[in-house]
Amino acid sequence: MIKLNNKLIAIAASALLATTMFAAEGTTKPLPANVYKATKNALDGGVTYKRENGAYTAYRVNDQSTKGVNFGRAPTANELKAWDADIMPDGTGLPVGSGTADDGETLYDKDCAVCHGEFGAGGKGYPTLTGGSLESLKNQRDCPGKEAPNRTIGSYWPKASTLIWYIRDAMPYAHPKSYSPDQMYAMTAYLLREGGVQIDGKDIEELNQDNFKKIVMPNEKGFYPNIDGPKGVENVRAFYKNPKNFGAVGTRCMSNCGKESVMKIGNEITAVVPAYSTVRDLPKEEAKGAVSEAQKLYEKSCAVCHKTDAMGAPAVGDKGAWEKAMGKGMDKVNHNAINGVGGMPPKGGAMDLSDAQVKDIVKFMVESSK
Amino acid sequence: MSNISENNLETTTNKEQSSRRDFFKRTAAYSVSAIAAANLLAPVKLSADDANIINHVEWGTTLGDELNKYPYGIPSAYEHNVVRRTSSLLSSAGDMHAAVSMTPLHELEGIITPNGLHFTRTHNGVAHIDPNKYRLMIHGLVEKPIVLTLEQLKKYPAESRLLFLECPANGAAEWKGPQFNSLQFVKGMMSNAEWTGVRLKTILDEIGLKPTAKWMLAEGSDGSEMSRTVPVEKVLDDAMIVWAQNGEAIRPEQGYPVRLMLPGWEANLCVKWLKRLEFGAEPWYCKEETSKYTALMASGKAIQHYYPLEVNSIITTPCPEKPWSDLKKGDMVEVEGIAWSGHGTITGVDISLDGGNNYVEAKLKGLVLPKSWTRFSYMYKYEGKPLLIQSRAMDDAGFVQPSVTQEKAIMGLEGVYHRNSICTWEVRQDGSVHNVQVRTDNCPK
Ligand code: HEC
Ligand code: HEC
Repeated sequence: MIKLNNKLIAIAASALLATTMFAAEGTTKPLPANVYKATKNALDGGVTYKRENGAYTAYRVNDQSTKGVNFGRAPTANELKAWDADIMPDGTGLPVGSGTADDGETLYDKDCAVCHGEFGAGGKGYPTLTGGSLESLKNQRDCPGKEAPNRTIGSYWPKASTLIWYIRDAMPYAHPKSYSPDQMYAMTAYLLREGGVQIDGKDIEELNQDNFKKIVMPNEKGFYPNIDGPKGVENVRAFYKNPKNFGAVGTRCMSNCGKESVMKIGNEITAVVPAYSTVRDLPKEEAKGAVSEAQKLYEKSCAVCHKTDAMGAPAVGDKGAWEKAMGKGMDKVNHNAINGVGGMPPKGGAMDLSDAQVKDIVKFMVESSK
Repeated sequence: MSNISENNLETTTNKEQSSRRDFFKRTAAYSVSAIAAANLLAPVKLSADDANIINHVEWGTTLGDELNKYPYGIPSAYEHNVVRRTSSLLSSAGDMHAAVSMTPLHELEGIITPNGLHFTRTHNGVAHIDPNKYRLMIHGLVEKPIVLTLEQLKKYPAESRLLFLECPANGAAEWKGPQFNSLQFVKGMMSNAEWTGVRLKTILDEIGLKPTAKWMLAEGSDGSEMSRTVPVEKVLDDAMIVWAQNGEAIRPEQGYPVRLMLPGWEANLCVKWLKRLEFGAEPWYCKEETSKYTALMASGKAIQHYYPLEVNSIITTPCPEKPWSDLKKGDMVEVEGIAWSGHGTITGVDISLDGGNNYVEAKLKGLVLPKSWTRFSYMYKYEGKPLLIQSRAMDDAGFVQPSVTQEKAIMGLEGVYHRNSICTWEVRQDGSVHNVQVRTDNCPK
């Protein structure tokens, strides 16, 4: 959105030199060492503070023993099974099942394309799931017209376990946790195939709990520090030991530090809600009235697509769009809401709604759009 | 957005109060220049007697509300513009289930963010948890796995800490240059509150951590089951499980009834609607520590497990929303701001009025606490001249806030997260304030 101004190539080198030359010599009073008992030994490159003599920095703390404070109970085996459902890179937690990429495609077109675009190619304002490339990860938009890096599942994600785990827990967006293991495998197979991920050099046709472990993601080695294995934590510590690794390179210069150019806002983003205002006056009386049951159901099951027209749904409040839909007559519109039409899944995917409830919601949507 | 010309403002200023009201009415939406106008109109500028002093006021000549009108109190109706704001550009297609809302930093005083103004990021909407059905499970590489109800959890000895929470994407829209002309959108993905709960170590001392435990999975129970991997070393240092925010139950948007608190680390790691903590020997690779919250460098490789929010600061007065349009030459005025560091405690802040060429020391004021907002102050005699005003903070881990040029030389422009370089407000001749960046760019041919 920002256009770089070519005139900005300024006195860079000399300015930077000046900054380092005047660095250091802190003149502000340091924190009182008896209060802030700091040691620079934190894993993240920062300090930790001692809890000593009933104090932790400027806080008083209760230093009585907490031994024997013991509430709760042991989880049952079934409770553990129900909740310990994460999926790890080594395949721990993979459900038993299988699914083909082709079945995944059918499912994808029904449940996901409306937001993530056909074949996961995006274009609807929601995350793009396919189509990136490893080469693109080096892109830097430091000049006008340059392309952004394209971070997608196939081009960026280090582990396939993340994908099936996320699909299991979080998708489909409006009805998370509704997929069977077979559907999870099918969807994962499809998205990996579209993202160009292969097993043993071949396109993925079918996935199950066994061949899943053979997947190596193209960008697996694209992340640092290396957190795996017995040295993982130590690698993290080593990474944070060097401030240059994470840009903590500020220096304290007090005078003649160097002048640089001033970049102003090119295209200001003003699309904020509510609009900016610091005025202190009485708000406009808004049409009050209790929120109806239909509105609540609408917020829960339909608003995700109908709040805006981004997904091709008639947006609630858009008079024209609803007049057009109502041209077919109320019965047909109700029928479409119940049975689905185009990108509109039957009952908006909320199959627990009765037909009567859907009709009430449609009535609310129509009336809110007059 | 209505655009009001400077000429318009002049004429409005000279008229009486009634026409000022009309002016407000006519201007349904305020652009930043309109905000400046509102300040120009302060009654202080009028030489005639002030009717608000001469005549009895409405609220002094009528009976007020019954004191129990609002069993849970609400702000004055006049404060209705002091709210969190969103931008569809900081979401998917304007979908407010997976988006972020910004704290109105320009309206905050001190270091406590009121609960209704705390910034919010959700990945699958705001979950509403029935506290009676709430359970927390702690298991994995521990001697005695447990499940706790909310009431049981709250029986553990409580501690309170003032801590900031900041989304590591705070300011991420501005790596390539300034885009928003407001403090709220430049730095509003953060808040500071008093959090109360139990140290995780207190619980772990009892249930026994196995020596093989190196990592902890923290999992939320919202629709996205938002989860992250945390090193055990942090867990044992200062991690907390918290159930209260500024003295009352955590708000749904902040994870009611329980969230994880990792002081100084990415707010995303402080998992909300906390459901499960599992200890393990290997990290998990959640979606929010692979696809997102990793910082892509120019090398094409990305930093993962990028935990602490580095030393940072921002000037809150003046700012684009609260300009100096009503100052006259010679007025003494306070430059105020907030500094914070996830690496430790703020030790000092320097102020520049000339875009970073020269600095002077500001004073810290109020409570100076680790991993908490710290207020700073600098008294300035306004000269009515253009300024490029900046703040630069330092912490007790020895870090100094970098310039834009210093930071991007290492981090590049595409890393999205952890942008903590020095911010600049341009104060123009008319006292209006604008978001700019002082930086050196080089477009390689
Ligand atoms: C109503 C719109 C919607 C639908 C339908 C939808 N998603 Fe999503 N999806 C989202 C949003 C919003 C996000 C980003 C969530 C966040 O901010 O954490 C997302 C994120 C994702 C991601 C992570 C992307 C990334 O780069 O991190 C994957 C994978 C995904 N969805 C898969 C699916 C699948 C599979 C389906 C169908 C079963 C689906 N989605 C249906 C809205 C949707
Ligand atoms: C996954 C996104 C999605 C959800 C969720 C959704 N809709 Fe829709 N809806 C659409 C789209 C897309 C259309 C436009 C379909 C077309 O004309 O091709 C639509 C159209 C409609 C129409 C107009 C039908 C017509 O005949 O023109 C109605 C009525 C409707 N939806 C009602 C609902 C109700 C009620 C709910 C909740 C129970 C709901 N929708 C949930 C996407 C959705």
